[in-house]
Amino acid sequence: MPLSLSDPHWYPIASSDDLPFRHVYQGQLLGRELAVWRADDGHVNVWENRCLHRGVRLSIGINEGQELKCQYHGWRYANQSAGCTYIPAHPADAPARRIENRKYPMREAFGLIWSAANDDQAFVPFPGAGDHDWFALRPVPVNAAPEDVVAGLARLAPDDQPADLLPGMAVRLDGVVYFVQPVDAGRAVIRGLLPQASGDPITILRHYNELLTRLRDRLERAAARKPAPEPLQPAYEKVSADLATMPEIAIPRGNTLPVLVRRKWQTADGVIGFELAGRDGKHLPTFQPGAHIDLHLPNGLIRQYSITNGPGDLLSYVIGVKAESASKGGSKVLVETVREGDVLAISEPRNNFPLRRDATRTVLIAGGIGITPLLSMARFLDQSSLPYELHYFTRSGESAAFKSELDVLHGAVHIHSGLAREAIQGTVNEVLGPHDFANHVYVCGPGAMLEMVTRTAAALGWPDEAVHFEYFQNDKVIDSSSAFDVELARSAMTLHVPAGRTILEVMREAGLTVPSSCEQGACGTCLTTVMEGEVDHQDVYLNKTEKASNTCMMTCVSRAKSARLVLDI
Amino acid sequence: MTITLYDFELSGNCYKLRLLMSILNLPYDIVPVDFFPGREHKSDAFLRLNPFGQLPVLRDDDLVLSDSGAILAYLAIKYDASGLWFPDDPATTAEVLRWHAVADDITSTSSAARLALGYDYKFDIEKSQQGAHRIFRLMDEHLWFGEKAGRDWLCSPAHPTTADIACFPYVMLSEEGGISRQDYPALRRWTDRVRRIPGFVVMSGIFPAGPARAE
Repeated sequence: MPLSLSDPHWYPIASSDDLPFRHVYQGQLLGRELAVWRADDGHVNVWENRCLHRGVRLSIGINEGQELKCQYHGWRYANQSAGCTYIPAHPADAPARRIENRKYPMREAFGLIWSAANDDQAFVPFPGAGDHDWFALRPVPVNAAPEDVVAGLARLAPDDQPADLLPGMAVRLDGVVYFVQPVDAGRAVIRGLLPQASGDPITILRHYNELLTRLRDRLERAAARKPAPEPLQPAYEKVSADLATMPEIAIPRGNTLPVLVRRKWQTADGVIGFELAGRDGKHLPTFQPGAHIDLHLPNGLIRQYSITNGPGDLLSYVIGVKAESASKGGSKVLVETVREGDVLAISEPRNNFPLRRDATRTVLIAGGIGITPLLSMARFLDQSSLPYELHYFTRSGESAAFKSELDVLHGAVHIHSGLAREAIQGTVNEVLGPHDFANHVYVCGPGAMLEMVTRTAAALGWPDEAVHFEYFQNDKVIDSSSAFDVELARSAMTLHVPAGRTILEVMREAGLTVPSSCEQGACGTCLTTVMEGEVDHQDVYLNKTEKASNTCMMTCVSRAKSARLVLDI
Repeated sequence: MTITLYDFELSGNCYKLRLLMSILNLPYDIVPVDFFPGREHKSDAFLRLNPFGQLPVLRDDDLVLSDSGAILAYLAIKYDASGLWFPDDPATTAEVLRWHAVADDITSTSSAARLALGYDYKFDIEKSQQGAHRIFRLMDEHLWFGEKAGRDWLCSPAHPTTADIACFPYVMLSEEGGISRQDYPALRRWTDRVRRIPGFVVMSGIFPAGPARAE
């Protein structure tokens, strides 16, 4: 029977021992080359062996533990999802979450790694698998047609005890189960499983290795006398059109996905941790450090929470919620009424606070619950052994949230507790120091703290583009008394924005799909390019330089000083 | 002491010496020799240094040496105070020299295929590739059973020797000769270990491995 590219059977593609930590294994199944790597959490990734960027083999890439880095231009892909998390050529941007490598199904069982060309069949252990503990023989690659290898194994059986042919190119012979991995039309690997037995394992392994090496030599001599079969021709899917082209200006709001509250716990006085997991046990979408999700609360409110996870940690998201802000209505419901086992809706992760990984010095400054995005950043930098320092300021009497998670970091983590305002100012001044080339600071916390840090950094000569911040909320009083016209250049529409309405509302009423999230000028999702007119900035997302440039604005709160604005929408 | 390496940047045999000297933290000067396309290693001036017309040549003060395996042994014996890279023990010395000979076989197969495909040499490509596969199979088997016995390197000591340095470059460069290492998982893991030796340097076509997992 000739091999089929769509063969749904599961085959072993490697031994468990072939995948030590921080190694990338090169494999092949039914003509398709695979990059196989074990993440530090033990999960084994089976991916198509090419980087989506320039097609270079990922098997020569670097396994950083929770991310695989392509050797060519350093694109990074996350454990579990194979989603791209970082593009060094665009260090200040978050890659689109749609950049995701092709994955194949995977099972680790009986000392072997199993995969299949597609998801059509569930993994079923071979007959008798449960009868023993098994250990894997040395795999023996053979340059011969897989079906000939199966026949050759069957011929090893004595006449009075014929071999037992099992489904999926497997042969049971004298207690040993041999699997033939169909690498390609003319190539195979024999992978044997032996029941755990007494005796010196190396002697046993050598015995079977000799047996199989002799068989291999016979099979290869026979194969050399036949015409070589045509290799399989797997189709390499082109990169999808939406990735290969410039994105549309209006990115629709991502769909929501349901998540289960797997764990709810008090991580510090007044800070509640929530672990949110997919309902099907599968991994959640790729995120980058600094990303947040929209959480749809039972009372209809939508609130943003930063993901605290480290790289490649996608089986659940952990967020931190401050109980004290409960009075504001959003977190109150979450803290008081949501219980473990409840199902909530979240958006896909969005990142308006991206982390550069090309800095020579990275300073992370957190105030209170502002630790959440910075914990994620610290974990990413930690995993890549990049230098960073984390300064976490807590009020007196307030304990540090995510303390055990912070304790396992290798970088310089300083918790400053109960400092007075002037002392915080002094510490920040000292921590920042004068700006040097490729130094970056990231700050998240209460508004007053962000203003103090940005002011201090500016006074020390830090340029705006080196100071990254994220506000939880916009505390400013929004003045919506102006009335003006907006001309939407791409949509060829002019709309009137009356006093008391936002540009965003007016655009939506006119039938436009425009992205937004917090709708209070804090998150950055509705960022829009301004082509003409003078902007009345009322957000806390843009920095001073960006505001002064008059080239962009947040349409959810900002307005016009001029009678007319022209927007690139 | 002044060490001068007569070097061609794309030569795996010259790289063996750059690699060991980097690991031993030895300063040296480079005289570039235009092996390709200039064939400067066959020029009169170079033949006076090495009548065999082969790279690399190393000059240490007035001493002129050739052959990468011989020079590896010389550098290790003279400059490696730890004595680990070329151990002074009869059995181990024999073992190391055995693998130096394998390294020469890798050069005459894997490197020959690379020279034929990329440097216009008239070698038999298919024969060279088959020869390399034959050696890689044996190395994979040796290293696989080594891992099972707790041995990480080509020779018995619990640390790398010049044998590992001598065999490494043309294993890593084999794909430039059309020789895939997909069938040699234990050989691929050994290349990770070599690339994690402190002082490791790269050359064109040989990529770094990234750090091991912290214990």
